[in-house]
Amino acid sequence: MKDQLLELKMKALKELESVSERSDLEKLRQQYLGRKGLLALLLKKLTALPKEERPVIGKLANQVKEELHKQFQFVSDSLTAKAVESESAFDVTLPGRRIPLGHLHPITKTTEEICTIFSTLGFRVVEGPEVELDYYNFEALNMPKDHPARDIQDTFYVSDTVVLRTHTSPMQIRIMESQSPPVSIIAPGKVYRPDSDVSHTPMFHQVEGLLVDKGITFGDLKGTLTTFIHQIFAHDTKLRFRTGFFPFTEPSAEVDIQCVICKGAGCRTCSYTGWIEILGSGMVDPEVFKAVGYDPENVSGFAFGMGVERIAMLKSGLDDIRLFFENDIRFLQQF
Amino acid sequence: MRVSLNWLKEFVEIDRTPAELAEMLTMAGLEVEGLEHKAHNLSDCKVCRILDIKPHPRADRLSICQVDAGKETVSVVCGATNMRKGDFVPLAPPGTTLPDGMLIKESTIRGELSHGMLLAEDEMDLTDDHTGIMILPDKLTPGQPLTEAMDLEDWILEITLTPNRIDCASVLGIAREIGALTRKKVTIPEVSFEEGDRAIEDLAEVNVLDSNGCPRYTAGLIDTVTIGPSPFWMRYRLYTSGVRSINNVVDITNYVLMEFGQPLHAFDYHRLGESKIVVKRAEQGQTFITLDEQTRELDDQTLMICDGKREVAIAGIMGGLNSEITEDSTAVLIESAYFNPTMIRRSSKKLSLSTEASYRFERGIDIEGTDLALRRSLQLMQQLAGGTIAKGVIDCYPNPWSAPHISLRSDRANTILGTHVAMPDMIEYLSALQMDVKKIDHNNIEVSPPSFRVDITREADLVEEIARLIGYDNIPVTLPPIRPAEEDSTELSLRARLKNMLVGMGFTEIITYSFISPKSADILKAGQNSNLRSFVKLLNPLTQDQSVMRTSLIPGLLSTVRLNSLRGQNDLRIFEWGKIYIKGEEELPQEKQVLAVLITGMGSSQEWYQKRREADFFDIKGVAENILEELGIEKTEFKRNNPKEGFDPNEYARIFSSGFGIGVIGKVAKEVIEGYGLEKSAYIVEIYIETLFPLISRVKKFTPLAKFPSVRRDISIILNRSIESAMLINIVKEIGKDLVESVKIFDIYQGKQIIPQEKALALGINYRSKERTLTDEEVNEIHEEVIREIRRQTGGRLREGPKNGNP
Repeated sequence: MKDQLLELKMKALKELESVSERSDLEKLRQQYLGRKGLLALLLKKLTALPKEERPVIGKLANQVKEELHKQFQFVSDSLTAKAVESESAFDVTLPGRRIPLGHLHPITKTTEEICTIFSTLGFRVVEGPEVELDYYNFEALNMPKDHPARDIQDTFYVSDTVVLRTHTSPMQIRIMESQSPPVSIIAPGKVYRPDSDVSHTPMFHQVEGLLVDKGITFGDLKGTLTTFIHQIFAHDTKLRFRTGFFPFTEPSAEVDIQCVICKGAGCRTCSYTGWIEILGSGMVDPEVFKAVGYDPENVSGFAFGMGVERIAMLKSGLDDIRLFFENDIRFLQQF
Repeated sequence: MRVSLNWLKEFVEIDRTPAELAEMLTMAGLEVEGLEHKAHNLSDCKVCRILDIKPHPRADRLSICQVDAGKETVSVVCGATNMRKGDFVPLAPPGTTLPDGMLIKESTIRGELSHGMLLAEDEMDLTDDHTGIMILPDKLTPGQPLTEAMDLEDWILEITLTPNRIDCASVLGIAREIGALTRKKVTIPEVSFEEGDRAIEDLAEVNVLDSNGCPRYTAGLIDTVTIGPSPFWMRYRLYTSGVRSINNVVDITNYVLMEFGQPLHAFDYHRLGESKIVVKRAEQGQTFITLDEQTRELDDQTLMICDGKREVAIAGIMGGLNSEITEDSTAVLIESAYFNPTMIRRSSKKLSLSTEASYRFERGIDIEGTDLALRRSLQLMQQLAGGTIAKGVIDCYPNPWSAPHISLRSDRANTILGTHVAMPDMIEYLSALQMDVKKIDHNNIEVSPPSFRVDITREADLVEEIARLIGYDNIPVTLPPIRPAEEDSTELSLRARLKNMLVGMGFTEIITYSFISPKSADILKAGQNSNLRSFVKLLNPLTQDQSVMRTSLIPGLLSTVRLNSLRGQNDLRIFEWGKIYIKGEEELPQEKQVLAVLITGMGSSQEWYQKRREADFFDIKGVAENILEELGIEKTEFKRNNPKEGFDPNEYARIFSSGFGIGVIGKVAKEVIEGYGLEKSAYIVEIYIETLFPLISRVKKFTPLAKFPSVRRDISIILNRSIESAMLINIVKEIGKDLVESVKIFDIYQGKQIIPQEKALALGINYRSKERTLTDEEVNEIHEEVIREIRRQTGGRLREGPKNGNP
């Protein structure tokens, strides 16, 4: 009986070693430790033993039972551990340990986009003062005092002779005063006009451009601005040049693109014209050349200016310009 | 400027659709911003004739009209009282939708069936008249469509004029433009009328004392007129042009203004003292009541129209109450003058009074056109108000206009435009614009623009005219030769680099207005002489809150925090890169670039892997250190001296490099936080870009990588809390010299195990030589000296306990 018990134990342990599936383990457990298992069967024979042997064998049988239970539990535990290791308990969908990212302001992004395009076309980026002399903002740009053209641009005044610049065009004068031709610059920056509603803020951003050299033509103006518009919008954007008026360019041209919202069919954004004004431009007026000491007989050039907010709004579908300067973080995080 | 297509057609043949016309004008510089189809929505309205009018049996104020509507006789309930039996009136049958959207239905009004509605002019949006039902001319046929019978259908072009094209501020002007663009002849309808026997010279006198202010004054006189309402056709045109109807005489002056662009003024002849007009400057400080019943203060630059005794009008701007046309006027003196544009503009600005007349005079009207406009108005007055026109007109015009001669080189035009336009074509274009063109030689043309084109004075102006007539879209597209751009300023690339770095560190860029409230300096507790108060002030701010240019970026940052916190967004990491404006001695202020970064709310957020932590000083300091490292700024020091307004006096520091103050960092003072209505602490670093800029190392130099092993030794030392950690680090570096590779503070302890005045700092020092492997003895020797020196200089003592210092 004793030998039988020990043999059963050895056999069970040996078989247990090779178990790798939980179902096999269960089968084995039933086989040995089940109510009708081998051990139970063996123990039934206990009653057949002589009285004096019973306690000894009984004790041994309990030891064997206990040890087998322990071993089964051990194998069971290790199977569980293996399963955890190898199975799907690893949650790859938990969010990663992130360093939170910030966002550039949409005006910065659009300005950079514009400047990058012109940089590749050979323009250098320059900047200048925002609190500006009346001379640079108006007079040198062929807008003497009492000139009706000044009515187009309402102006913030600091004194009789100092204004907040109403456009980036004074940079044309400042740059030409500081260097001799050729000149090819773009000048991004803040400008100011006393206006405030859904489509106007008292501060906004413009990018000015100026190219002066021998033999620059109106055709060159058209080519440069067409290239720009095709890059900043889409390669198939339709555009048109129409007569405009700026005191510091002659001829002057407004540049319209086909409305990006309605594709020219007519909508509220384009006032049902199918076109959206995007740029002002023109050939530098001889008076401007004279003001900076360039000889208009010797050089020619073109200048242009555009509103950054307008381009950013058209590209993003935003319809209230004031959101740019409210700085609601939820707005800024969209860009 | 709103202009009627039918009116234009009186001057020029138009063979394009309204949309094509609008497109053509827009491309040529007269931007058509709106196109309104007039009266097209009245197509259901009919002419009808009133057969009988009976009072409504159950309503005192209503009547029942039997009307002949052509095919049938219907009855219509009507509230007006001006119509009589036999009148022709407009009828809106059931089913008609009026311009204001109202649908006419067959309805029973107090028990009487009404088959539609009789209409007043304003209900059809033909004029603003609502005095009664519109009475139509007698010669019509009942049942006729109304629009056809009255020739109502029209298109209104809404044109935005550029300041240079004042010649187009009239029907004639736009007709001329259309004529030039379509090569059609412009015809001015003949102006003729019957004159009386008495010469105007016997009845009135004009004396121009300031011929600089008034180069031409033309006047005419009409007697025994009857003031009354204008006929429908005139009121309809004025209404669609945006002009209110007053009476026939005043309406005619406005009509001719719209038609020819010549402002006219009608004086009540009998109210002119001594039957005289005198043109002279006002006296300084005198007052005058204009016909809008406002008292105006004048200066000696204001040009006035006077009679023999007193002022009767501000020249070119507005007439006076004392001589205006009233219902009792019987004789009218009409002024058709040309005033000096600059003078009118100055006075208009000074008086803050801008009128249709001043708008035109200040931009320059056609000096040659005063006579035609005057005669046109006399003709219309005789036609519509009766009366006798005095013989002749008075015309004070001492220096008649002579056409300027402008030379145009055809090769120059082609060079500027990038075209190959032949000279005959150029001549053809310019001639279409009514310019006199004379060919001088194969390249040179002499051009005389017409008197109404005051904007054409130079060759460049002619080049633009040629370009317009070619059509901008027909000019070939070319590209200028591209040369490599000179490099952008390093400041720009630096800015882009730092902005991107901040974005990488979780900061979002804001852009706030450059103007702020002057109170912001008070909130920041700025001293009386502080730069924060060196404001550039705006003379005409939109609001007090935006009345000075900012002297710091902090108000903008804190206002942004406030806006976001009101919307429940309390955890912010933001920055702004912008200018501050400091008023100094110079005419222009100093504009300085500043970078300001702010953290408020959490330093790190609650996540599954970390606990939420409130931001503190060292969050913002870390940002500053990263920036300085990226720029290669060496030997930076954070010093807590010389408190900075707006910052907490304990938790702040000035940042120095090579002795230059390059920024300020710290916790925003509690009063400032409260001043902006905030609760949570905020931490800011401000960096002064211009000061920093020269300190940036442009070229990063290579240092050979260490070949020999390093030895780490730690110190844990207890010292007085007031001793700054930087002092210890300096001592280590000073003693250890080249052999100290790095020093790091890896723990700080303050608490129960030591007294409250003390703190324990744990330093980790890496010793390494570039030339050899250091021996233990060597390291020990230096390390001992470091400890000695630290203890000597700080009075600290080594901490007992675990060897490597952790408490």
